[in-house]
Amino acid sequence: MKAATWAGVNEIAVEDVPEPTILNDRDVILKIRQSVTCGSDLHLVGGYIPFMRAGDVMGHEFIGEVVEVGREVRDRKVGDRVVVAPFAACGSCWYCRQELYSLCDNGNPDPGITEGLWGQSPGGCFGYSHAMGGYAGSHAEYMRVPYADVGTFVVPEAIPDTRAVFASDAASTGWMGADLAGTKPGDVVAVWGAGGVGQMAARAAMLLGAEQVVVVDRVPERLQQVREHIGAEAVDYTSTDVVAELRERTGGRGPDVCIEAVGMEAHAPGAPGIYD
Amino acid sequence: MELPAIVSRAGGALLSTLQHVRLPGVGQASVTDDPATAARRWRAVTVLRTGEEVGALPPPLERFGDRIEVRTEPAPGDRGTELAARFRGTPSEAEIGELRAALREAKQLLEVGEVLRVEPQPHGVRKPTPQGAALEGMTERAPKEGVL
Ligand SMILES: NC(=O)c1ccc[n+]([C@@H]2O[C@H](COP(=O)([O-])OP(=O)(O)OC[C@H]3O[C@@H](n4cnc5c(N)ncnc54)[C@H](O)[C@@H]3O)[C@@H](O)[C@H]2O)c1
Ligand SMILES: [Zn+2]
Ligand SMILES: [Zn+2]
Repeated sequence: MKAATWAGVNEIAVEDVPEPTILNDRDVILKIRQSVTCGSDLHLVGGYIPFMRAGDVMGHEFIGEVVEVGREVRDRKVGDRVVVAPFAACGSCWYCRQELYSLCDNGNPDPGITEGLWGQSPGGCFGYSHAMGGYAGSHAEYMRVPYADVGTFVVPEAIPDTRAVFASDAASTGWMGADLAGTKPGDVVAVWGAGGVGQMAARAAMLLGAEQVVVVDRVPERLQQVREHIGAEAVDYTSTDVVAELRERTGGRGPDVCIEAVGMEAHAPGAPGIYD
Repeated sequence: MELPAIVSRAGGALLSTLQHVRLPGVGQASVTDDPATAARRWRAVTVLRTGEEVGALPPPLERFGDRIEVRTEPAPGDRGTELAARFRGTPSEAEIGELRAALREAKQLLEVGEVLRVEPQPHGVRKPTPQGAALEGMTERAPKEGVL
């Protein structure tokens, strides 16, 4: 099958790779329908996470069709169209029972790397380096997903792929940002970054009752998406003084909630950029 | 030994020392155990199962026979059962690694019913680079290293 692989720092290749097989009884094999490039893939591409091996298949935000099920899979069957959480979570450990799935104790087969680096291991993440389990990712025609009953979700027929796929990562991450920030009805919310996560955070803030939501970026197409699809206001920081603008809009108070959805590849011209 | 094998072994060794790296004056106030004390410590996992379900000697630990002692205790706050093991006498680092991996396997068998596998995975061409060889050594060692 064809797959997009990491071939070195700032090098992506399309290669012929073997098809995945069922390795555990709770696995499914998916035929990938759509796979999205998340901003987090940039950290791998840029070499900031030095646990990629040339040939690793990338991708962790995706929707697919079940084409094979392991013996212990109970709730999924061949033909199901599913959107999948990026983390491999067992559903049975203490963290999973607290709904802290990204901390699953049984999702990362290589826990020694992150335990050595950070003192403790999070769960495993598909297509996200050997520090996060070494799983092949979704930028491929087929993919193996372990613990399928826990991390895959059947998509209702009426919802097209393009609407459902972001439930995998951008929508849930954006929602978590707005929710963790404690967004309340009446709040003014500013979001930095108009990528998938920023746009979804803005939408989530609106659904949580925010009075006014402003998204800051500089890419015209993305600012336009914010206006058209999200229904929030968009500010171009290359032509607007963001702090002055936000103060003016909020009676001098500034926003009640600020959400950072840019990440480590932030565009930072001038002296602070050099310092960064 | 061929160069890639040497580098790969170095990668594994690097992983085993990662958590013991202490730069004088940087961040860490804590001392590190001397090897003898470290070898005597109990290695433990907490399993979300009752003591009865965990039993006295979960199968992955059986093969150590009476080279190890094993104890179980209820974990606080409904977190299940603490399963701890340590060697009698002075084990080698390799033996401690085996024990860590076995404890993690025991936890997975008890909580999930099987041990998660990741090999073989589909992948493209593995360029023979030193970084790649070092990383392969690390992933091979990864189930045996860590904070247990
Ligand atoms: N669960 C998680 O923790 C999780 C999940 C997904 C993404 N992320 C992270 O969230 C971040 C955003 O993800 P994404 O997929 O939306 O990425 P993205 O690259 O599509 O979007 C980032 C946006 O930030 C804009 N930007 C750059 N510099 C800026 C600046 N100084 N001010 C304002 N905007 C600026 C860029 O123009 C771009 O539109 C990434 O760092 C990613 O790693 C985390
Ligand atoms: Zn992501
Ligand atoms: Zn779990």
